[in-house]
Amino acid sequence: MKNETKRKIVSPLIMKLTLFLSIVGPGLVTSNLDNDAGGIATYSMAGAQTGYRLMWLLIPVTIALIMFQEMSARMGIVSGKGLADLIREKFGLRITFYSLFFLLFADLGNTMAEFAGIASAGEIFGASRYITVPICAILVWLLVLKSDYKSVERIFILGCSIFLTYIVSGFIIGPNWIEVTTAIIKPDLHSITSKDLPIMVGLLGTSITPWMQFYIQSAVVEKGISTKHLWHSKVDVIAGCSLMLIVTFFIMICCATTIFPSGIVVHDAKDAAIALEPLAGKYSSILFGIGLFNASFFAAAILPLAASYYICQGMGWESGVDRTFKEAPHFFTVFTSMITIGGAMTLIPGIDLFKILIYTQILNGLLIPIVVLYIINLCNDPDIMGEYTNSPTQNFISYILVALMFILNLPTIYYSLR
Amino acid sequence: MEIFKDLNDITLHFSKTLGIKIFNEDGQKLGRVNDFFIDYEEIYPSVLAIQYKRNGFLFYILWEEILYFSYKKIVIKNDAFSRRSRTFPKTLRPKSVTSILANQFTGSTVEYPPLGQIVLDKQIVDTHGKKVVRVNDIQFIKAGKELRVTHAEVGLRSFVRRLNLEKPIDFLIKSLSPQSKYLTNDTTINWKYVHAIPNRNIQKSVRLNLTNEDLKQLHPADLADILEDLDSHGREMIFSNLDPKLAAETLSEVDEDLQASLLNNENPEKAAEIIENMDTDDAADLLNEMDDDKVDAIISNIDDVEIQEEIQELLEHDEDTAGGLMTSEIFEITAELSKSDVLALIQQKHEEVASFHDIYIVDESHNLIGTLSLQELLIHNENALIKDIMNDSDIKSLSVDTHWKEVATYMNKYNMITVPIVSRENELLGMISVDDILDRLLS
Repeated sequence: MKNETKRKIVSPLIMKLTLFLSIVGPGLVTSNLDNDAGGIATYSMAGAQTGYRLMWLLIPVTIALIMFQEMSARMGIVSGKGLADLIREKFGLRITFYSLFFLLFADLGNTMAEFAGIASAGEIFGASRYITVPICAILVWLLVLKSDYKSVERIFILGCSIFLTYIVSGFIIGPNWIEVTTAIIKPDLHSITSKDLPIMVGLLGTSITPWMQFYIQSAVVEKGISTKHLWHSKVDVIAGCSLMLIVTFFIMICCATTIFPSGIVVHDAKDAAIALEPLAGKYSSILFGIGLFNASFFAAAILPLAASYYICQGMGWESGVDRTFKEAPHFFTVFTSMITIGGAMTLIPGIDLFKILIYTQILNGLLIPIVVLYIINLCNDPDIMGEYTNSPTQNFISYILVALMFILNLPTIYYSLR
Repeated sequence: MEIFKDLNDITLHFSKTLGIKIFNEDGQKLGRVNDFFIDYEEIYPSVLAIQYKRNGFLFYILWEEILYFSYKKIVIKNDAFSRRSRTFPKTLRPKSVTSILANQFTGSTVEYPPLGQIVLDKQIVDTHGKKVVRVNDIQFIKAGKELRVTHAEVGLRSFVRRLNLEKPIDFLIKSLSPQSKYLTNDTTINWKYVHAIPNRNIQKSVRLNLTNEDLKQLHPADLADILEDLDSHGREMIFSNLDPKLAAETLSEVDEDLQASLLNNENPEKAAEIIENMDTDDAADLLNEMDDDKVDAIISNIDDVEIQEEIQELLEHDEDTAGGLMTSEIFEITAELSKSDVLALIQQKHEEVASFHDIYIVDESHNLIGTLSLQELLIHNENALIKDIMNDSDIKSLSVDTHWKEVATYMNKYNMITVPIVSRENELLGMISVDDILDRLLS
């Protein structure tokens, strides 16, 4: 009896690589999403207005991001459930409902920011937002509900590599590296004024968002990664977050070196494109426009989709793009209204988009410590995590990070509401 | 004292009973209601004990010791025995006819988990509606001196109740549209159709086992949908309790991505049994997705040497070609037989063969020399010889290395339900049926 199967012999290295690539993914995708419209705007503005001064903040932000995303990914792998499912099962319907209600509001604001990004990108090419936004809203809707979204996702991820040009641009500019390093290693905490607070919260709020915690966990669950591959998933998260850190770092360097000394205040996307001029010359705004459009469109598709999923999971409603409207009415209603409202808001004449963005950011900033507290609690529950609960060190660092976020949030809210 | 004298409603809701204060006859407060222990062996389970919480510790008190029960307070006997425990020890009856939980060791004692912990806010399988739902609330009914569980509530009304917004929303709806269905109806699931899935830890500590009698009645396609909707733990739990035949049928219906992970969780012996029960083409597709070591372990555990060899052969073909798609479980005969011989053979072999729609005729070196549809066979008289009635000119067949898209085009062009697959030398290897192609076209 022959037990050996006679199949095509694949080299062990390629087998290992394929396995690795099939597990690697959720973290990289999620971190790519971090450089969305809001992210690029915030990083550009931070660099343009404060120079290298606040760049040190990226280090603790990235550490926090790695810690929190690792927890969510681990939770997804061990429990096989989404974050909203676990919150519902552990904390009951009422807490889940109110948490998700506010999260939905924050995400509506975030979706609006993505459409604002699409509008800005369109305006770089001279297209009116009254044309680009409605067309893109319809495209997003069709893309997610009527086509095979997964296959398109890869194109977006590829499109995100446009932001790698910031790295090239950064080296061409050749900033004073010693100055940059000093600013990161020895942060000048005394120079922080109340004016810096919104920027600092913005940096935090665009880098660590509540919805991404839900997104990465669902992505991991959907991939069906087993606990054997926990380590691969950690590498994935760390690689993704580090990539995000590098790109963000260079966006800030470029803006800090080219825009900050000239004293120009960044008003719109066109101004921010100056940072790419050393690399692309007069084509810099085109390059920036394509990158911004890609990132905004990508996030405008994924964000409402992720939000519809977690709302329906938590509330116990049917969900899934492969269902019919009759089978999953709530799911399609939430998804469609988010795109419609998010898109329409950017078109209201005279609306102060910037103010809405700030309020969204505040809501994000308020919600993220709460969501992280849920995550820490769930990650310490042996009923859910079995032997994979948090270590005391992980808990200690996480709690300190949450405390820091609260400390940073409170005065900002105070100042911006005043 | 009449136990329910101040309780006018016939039905009670789980969420409304949480936090009711418990006193003894002297008026001394013992704690607050936290959960219920019910007799999972009954179709409409009666409440056996109430779990209450005092200073963060959990106790239970037997239902018999309760003198008075209302939404305001519960009074129990002064000498009532209460024990500190998270679970409830239950002696099982010798024979259990149960709707949701049962035990392999009947007659012995098991530790029951509380009701809320395994049902409230959790996903359950509604075996009547054939879907996975999340429970918002649980309905009890007053039955004499007892309280019995009757329904799991999953609708909007129970949702609003959990948010403590029942009164204002009711008022609002009443004033807007007094006839609204919302006020009288809620989506509930009769308890006998509720199939709970205790979580990993409860499963481990109390050794409860699910009976799958109610699930076994479901169509494999429905079962597959349910598995897809569950989380990985619930999925594995239900799947590993299916018998190999049902497991095989269900597995063929499940989403491709899930198939391998479900089979991966089974030990090689059980996995081999499941594989044996599947169509060989589906089995080969599935094994193609798995690790080599695991596949070898499964294949070596297959008892039927014929199936074992067929699967190994299929595994050698590329998934996207006719060879990877075909099944080798075909009905092939020699040309010398008569119609009655063939009918007898059909009766004999119906379990091993995937389809009788077309009958394939081979010569002694196993080359395809003719085809005959079942329909044609039936219209001839009993003594007709196959070689006289078979179609031997212009035989429609495809080579084993044809791409599946070409197979689809070919079958569409000639309106074929099944198509024979042959080697370059015209040796009959297998056939592809239209449903194998449809799967590909739709995914």
